[in-house]
Amino acid sequence: MPRRGASLLLSGLPALRGLLPLVLLLAAWQALGPHGSPYFPPPSTWWTGVATLSRTGRLMPALSSTLVTFVLAIAIACILGGAAGILIGRSAAARRALGPLLEFCRGLPPPVIVPVAVLVLGYVEGLKLVIVVSVAVWPILLNTAAATGALSNLLGDVTRTLRLGRLATLRKIVVPAAIPAFLVGVRGAVPLAIIITLLVEMITSLPGIGSLIVLSQRQFRSAEVYGLLVLVGLMGFALNSLFVVVEGLVLRRWPPRASYAQGG
Amino acid sequence: MLRRIMPLRWLNLPGTLTLVAIAAVWEAAVRSGAAAFEYLPAPSAIGVAFLELVRSGELLANTAHTLRSVLIGWLLSCAIGLALGLLFGLSAFARRYFLASLEVLRPLPAIAFLPVALLLFNFSLTTELIVIVYASIWPVFVNTLGGIVSVAARLHDVSLTLQLSRARTLTKVLIPAAAPAIVVGFRLGLGTAVVMAIIAEMLGNPHGLGYAVVSALQAMRPERMFAYVLFVGVLAIALNACLVVASRRLLPGHTREAARA
Repeated sequence: MPRRGASLLLSGLPALRGLLPLVLLLAAWQALGPHGSPYFPPPSTWWTGVATLSRTGRLMPALSSTLVTFVLAIAIACILGGAAGILIGRSAAARRALGPLLEFCRGLPPPVIVPVAVLVLGYVEGLKLVIVVSVAVWPILLNTAAATGALSNLLGDVTRTLRLGRLATLRKIVVPAAIPAFLVGVRGAVPLAIIITLLVEMITSLPGIGSLIVLSQRQFRSAEVYGLLVLVGLMGFALNSLFVVVEGLVLRRWPPRASYAQGG
Repeated sequence: MLRRIMPLRWLNLPGTLTLVAIAAVWEAAVRSGAAAFEYLPAPSAIGVAFLELVRSGELLANTAHTLRSVLIGWLLSCAIGLALGLLFGLSAFARRYFLASLEVLRPLPAIAFLPVALLLFNFSLTTELIVIVYASIWPVFVNTLGGIVSVAARLHDVSLTLQLSRARTLTKVLIPAAAPAIVVGFRLGLGTAVVMAIIAEMLGNPHGLGYAVVSALQAMRPERMFAYVLFVGVLAIALNACLVVASRRLLPGHTREAARA
């Protein structure tokens, strides 16, 4: 995961002139590239390829299916991961008992979950969603649990002094303290969820951008493959930017405090 | 996620018991037929399948293929990512005129390159390596760049005061100061390489552990698939642990060492 400092640093740099090499490369490809090449179709044909997909009505259903899966999966993973993370983090016994299991789930490379879910669950409704949630939930859960666990010794005395009830403790102390680490988890989960959504679609041929791009590749419609690649790139960019905006809003509402900062 | 959140203490009794209990409940559920999944194998069946895979040498061959691809791809991406990170970290010109072009490519999910690589190189090791290297360069690059750029201004003053040449500033000041970040980049790159190798083997290069898992799916052999999946998990954790140990050896605890000296 790129660290926060690094990505802030990069996004702050003046963008437009830095895009020049890429633009020049594409222009040179367009001007000098072999026309009609099955391997390196000129960039102008990429657009035509995607436009054809759009006109024949295959692009939009695929795009919306992929986006809906992604958004729902991230939302569910946030709720599940946040809630389970706080529950596990609050109890030292639970952390110890579940530690090895969670370590394994964190270490397991996410793509192998896809065939397991396909075989065990079968092609049920919502298979894509179940798989993406089961992958995206771990970074969120583990980060939240770690931050909540680091907190309990620290602010336990405060809650006792103030005689806060369980609900008030949760709302006033635990949740605000866990949010920065929770967001770090979501930041890790977003690109993972995009990759796994595409992977599920590629492996199972369930409708989506992933299966569309594989179909184009199998039929050697290379312009479509490149066009869809750009589209997926834009999608990744848009979803990551959306996350940054949401993150900013959440952090403005619950700013991180130094007093409980060791979790993040 | 950079730090180990729940340190595995040796002899974690409740943790071990949890795993045993899960296996026992799983076994009982499958045997009694309470688990409504047709293709859920019992842990004992998975164990038998695993031993079979070990005995036939299939597991070893697949592991060797995957490990080789991962290591080649990872070493390549470490070299490229480090070189790019140093270049962009040291040259304001490069940052100004080239960085944004790379930044546009970074959020592009690497898996979307797989169909393009397939188009160009068909089902081959090249396809697998391209996907691995493309994806694993980023963590190395970003961490190296971040490490170099955020070297404290104080250290720049030191190298000015000592009148170090540019080359010596790089080797004596900048790289040591950025080393922890670079090593983190290497470690994240290895994790990415493992993930991408498995994805590439599932879809782009029919060899190795990724392909073994998918072909067990196609052959409807759940016990083999689970054996492979559990093994892949252990393998990935072991690889990561190797790097954690290696990086501790390489950079023996900055703070601890400094305090002792």
